[in-house]
Amino acid sequence: MRLLVLNHIQNAYDSLRSTRMRTNLTMLGVTIGVASITLILSLSGGATKVITDQVDELGGNIAVVRPGDVPQTTRLDNIASPMNHSYATSSLTERDMKAIRLVPGVEAVAPVMLVGGNVAAGNNSSSNTPIVATTPDLISISNLTVKDGQFIDSVTNRDTAVIGAQLSVDLFGTDQSIGQNFKIRGQDFTVIGVLKRANKPINYNNIDFDHAAIVSLESGKSFNQGVAQIQQIDIKATDQNSLPSVVEGTKKALGAAHKNEHDFSVLSGDDLSRPTSQLFFAVAAAMTAVAAISLIVGGIGIMNIMLVTVAERTREIGIRKALGASNGHITAQFLIESLAIGIGGGLFGYIAGYLLAFIVSRSVLTFDPLFSWQIAGLAIGTSVVVGILFGLYPAIRASRKDPIEALRQYH
Amino acid sequence: MKTNPDAPVIALRGLKKRYGIGDAEHTVLDGVDLVIEKGEFIAIMGPSGCGKTTLLNILGLLDRADDGDYFLADRSVESLSARRHANIRSEQIGFVFQNFNLVPRLNVIENVALPLTYKGIRKTKRLQLASKMLQTFHLSEREYYMPWQLSGGQTQRVAIARALVNSPSIVLADEPTGNLDSKASHVIMEELSDIHKRGNTIIMVTHNPSLTTYASRVITMLDGKIDSDTKTLQPTVKVDTTKKRLDTHAAEAPKEKTLRSRRPAKRKTIKKGASK
Repeated sequence: MRLLVLNHIQNAYDSLRSTRMRTNLTMLGVTIGVASITLILSLSGGATKVITDQVDELGGNIAVVRPGDVPQTTRLDNIASPMNHSYATSSLTERDMKAIRLVPGVEAVAPVMLVGGNVAAGNNSSSNTPIVATTPDLISISNLTVKDGQFIDSVTNRDTAVIGAQLSVDLFGTDQSIGQNFKIRGQDFTVIGVLKRANKPINYNNIDFDHAAIVSLESGKSFNQGVAQIQQIDIKATDQNSLPSVVEGTKKALGAAHKNEHDFSVLSGDDLSRPTSQLFFAVAAAMTAVAAISLIVGGIGIMNIMLVTVAERTREIGIRKALGASNGHITAQFLIESLAIGIGGGLFGYIAGYLLAFIVSRSVLTFDPLFSWQIAGLAIGTSVVVGILFGLYPAIRASRKDPIEALRQYH
Repeated sequence: MKTNPDAPVIALRGLKKRYGIGDAEHTVLDGVDLVIEKGEFIAIMGPSGCGKTTLLNILGLLDRADDGDYFLADRSVESLSARRHANIRSEQIGFVFQNFNLVPRLNVIENVALPLTYKGIRKTKRLQLASKMLQTFHLSEREYYMPWQLSGGQTQRVAIARALVNSPSIVLADEPTGNLDSKASHVIMEELSDIHKRGNTIIMVTHNPSLTTYASRVITMLDGKIDSDTKTLQPTVKVDTTKKRLDTHAAEAPKEKTLRSRRPAKRKTIKKGASK
């Protein structure tokens, strides 16, 4: 049987080569499908890897509390109703922070309160600046580095701020902006520190610190009628081993503080590194749909062209049967041919997917696509499945041909 | 497969084949009884539409009879699966067709090696055997020609080489000379009688009475039945009936020997086509 498979492969190669244009066009359908799969997976894998690396870099001892139950970001209605969390009042409070701080094994706790509003200095203003109100502990938890000046601490004034390197350039035209004044929602703030450029727009805080302005929690509360509106609480455990107990303790402490209402989620490890952006999932879902549709269309193309091939080679089928080929031989011969189209399309798609991924990541994004054997396996696996699935019907049809009828057909 | 050395290679009993349903039903074979011994060279003759080709297809396991028994080497083939049939075609039967039926995509040696593929023989070995077979047909220089680069006689010799490459015990030839002029026809017939002398059983369908001289036994068919058989009837009777039956259908056929043109052959092709 092995010898026959080799023979079928040789045969498929010869016959596909003799109809090169047709074969290439048929492959294109599968190529597009597999390319989109590769693109999605490599980019989302790359994004995940960025965050995983950051968490690992910090010693893997970070947990994060977010309001609401575990976000079901993969659900389509979540994508369709944009940012449904952002308008709701967060269920996390300053009291929760204090409760977490008491959990054994917790080394540091920092809230992240995002304040909406404009940042302006002179004529320059920026409306999409994340204004982060937090406590001094954030610098150690999130591994931020201050290039000039200092981070906010317990003794700094309420009208001082630390700004990201890019924001400094945007507002003042220089990254040496210590002592300069700027306005947040009309209030004056003085720059006391400039963060070192991190170039990590994707992180578990969902904040691009290069563009952020960081103020104290007290200042943040003053923008919000004196109430803290905490989007996220970052927790740092003393070491990696104590992280599970910290997560459990946090859950228990918050459960008690929230009257056993499960309106928060504690994330650590892989949950933390899963991309949370709604847009990201919207794009991924759209690409998946494109991939699925083009794979089906590509598969129909394969079936179509295989039916043509079978019709064209009816006489050959008759001859082969008369010379001793069984139905199984004929099925295998045509199945391997469609499989070859599928795998060919899969290989080109895999390469094209990575080319696209690199073009996208180099031009728009800040991280590289991920290479992994899972993606390669999935790309090839999908193309094999498409090749077999859509080649099966034409192959069986070929094998069922009556040899006498087939031999009578003239070309 | 167990083989009884004394058993006939082929034994048919009351073989029937019908096409169509109801009013359109048409009986092609109407009770054929035939016993073929090992090493016979049989020529089957008869007018168009008398069931010669159908009989040959059934003998070659390409078709199944509706009724009656077919024993191949003392074993009924009715009960065997399609897979076994394919296997028997591969191991024991060699086909030669009127229109050659070489695979146009493959070159000569690949065509000849094709039956060996389904016996599971390795490629190098396959090509060696095919090359050796082509040598016996004096076609060694044409090994890498494509089928369309050969003359009719060469093509048919390639087709015969292909039928013989897996050393079948039975060679079935459906008008092997039907598309050839008389000179090429006789070359082909010489080849076939050579094969016969080597001990193969050959069953040949032909329209051309002059070619029956090569055969050891001539069977004439009429309307789905065996009309005469040189083995059971007196030879003189055979000649008379054959001549009479063929008068209406192949009147020019005996003249073909003297006519060197392709015209009679062409006319027969048309007739053959009409019978299908």
